Amino acid sequence: MVTLTINGKLVRAREGEMLLDAIRREGIEIPATCQHEAVEPYGACRLCTVEITKADWGGWKNHVTSCLYPVQEGLIVSTHSEDVIRIRKTILDLFLARCPNAELIQNMAAEYGITRTSYEEVPDGNDCILCGLCTRVCDKMGFQAISTVGRGHGKEVAPPLGEAPPDCVGCLACAQICPTNYIKFTDDGTTRTIWGREFELVKCETTGQPTITKEFAAYLVKHRNIPEDYFTRCDSAHREELAKTMGRITHWGRQEEA
Amino acid sequence: MNYRFVVKPELCIGCRTCELACSFAHSVNGKPGRSRIYPLGTGHKELWVPVVCLQCEDPACARSCLVDAITRNPETGAMDLDAERCVRCMACVAACPFGCSLHDANHQMVVKCDLCGGDPVCAHFCPTKALVLEPIVQQKKKKSA
Ligand code: SF4
Ligand code: SF4
Ligand code: FES
Repeated sequence: MVTLTINGKLVRAREGEMLLDAIRREGIEIPATCQHEAVEPYGACRLCTVEITKADWGGWKNHVTSCLYPVQEGLIVSTHSEDVIRIRKTILDLFLARCPNAELIQNMAAEYGITRTSYEEVPDGNDCILCGLCTRVCDKMGFQAISTVGRGHGKEVAPPLGEAPPDCVGCLACAQICPTNYIKFTDDGTTRTIWGREFELVKCETTGQPTITKEFAAYLVKHRNIPEDYFTRCDSAHREELAKTMGRITHWGRQEEA
Repeated sequence: MNYRFVVKPELCIGCRTCELACSFAHSVNGKPGRSRIYPLGTGHKELWVPVVCLQCEDPACARSCLVDAITRNPETGAMDLDAERCVRCMACVAACPFGCSLHDANHQMVVKCDLCGGDPVCAHFCPTKALVLEPIVQQKKKKSA
């Protein structure tokens, strides 16, 4: 265990833990848009920036991304110092120039008193803040179907070569994790479309309810050892089935007693 | 683990009190969550089965989760689903052969029974004791060396 100071309060943290975790445990809210428990920290958005110093640093201060900075004995952390607020404002201001229509960015910026960017809006800006969560989660799930392409202003998330991604299984993890809902998909109960590709959904043999895509189910059968017939029914049909089976057993028990 | 959660369908009267208790016990921001337990009819007269996660030994839910959001809680023995880690791919919901990994559409979360951290609230409310926390009687022989 290490002991550090966060906003004037002494706190204990686990060795190797990131500053952001210790900060959140204290109930302190700071934005951390490119961070998600499912993936490793990445340090892309820099919104989680905090100020650090130590008693023997002679007044010298540093600003670090707390999602990537491991806790240290004797560290003195400020999450809302004047400098930190200024840095966060600048970042939000820049994000607002790139993604003027992203609700999440608008709301975060508004919390810091910014309603319009002071920079020039990127001409054909979109809602992607390039946090990399989508590509990271896709990699983590083992599909590696999408990646960031291009550089600078033209940088964007896309399947390789900008075509319908052959390795995508339509699990929607990327769309679910995207903090600005930039990744669009449609689902009409039979077909799911994402990244310009169509997927057929598995339908429950009993209720007709759609579950996951056929490709995703096939992947889980092949790589995660899930018996194929588990996917023939939806969750509610599975519960009914279990109730009937257990009911049958209990019924026999009753008859034997009688 | 000195206790285990036992479901006794022969005592269930289908009153659905457990369902309500579960829902409230798993409220999110003051709003009831989706119940993790479902007392269902069986096709036999006056026979209901409270369907709830079996906390399987080699669970399909955990196997299907590609981001390791479902893990065994060493203290309670339950398979706990970490909502912060879950990316809502619905693999576990589709894979559980008992339909006990659930989509809570109201809260946009995937949920399952966590045995309430070791003291299941439903068991406290079941009027007929069809749901009980029972001490485990040690009956394992010692391994010979
Ligand atoms: S959710 Fe389903 S697969 Fe997972 S432990 Fe419970 S009963 Fe088993
Ligand atoms: S829905 Fe969540 S818990 Fe279930 S398999 Fe997907 S990521 Fe894991
Ligand atoms: S959350 Fe730390 S840099 Fe984005």
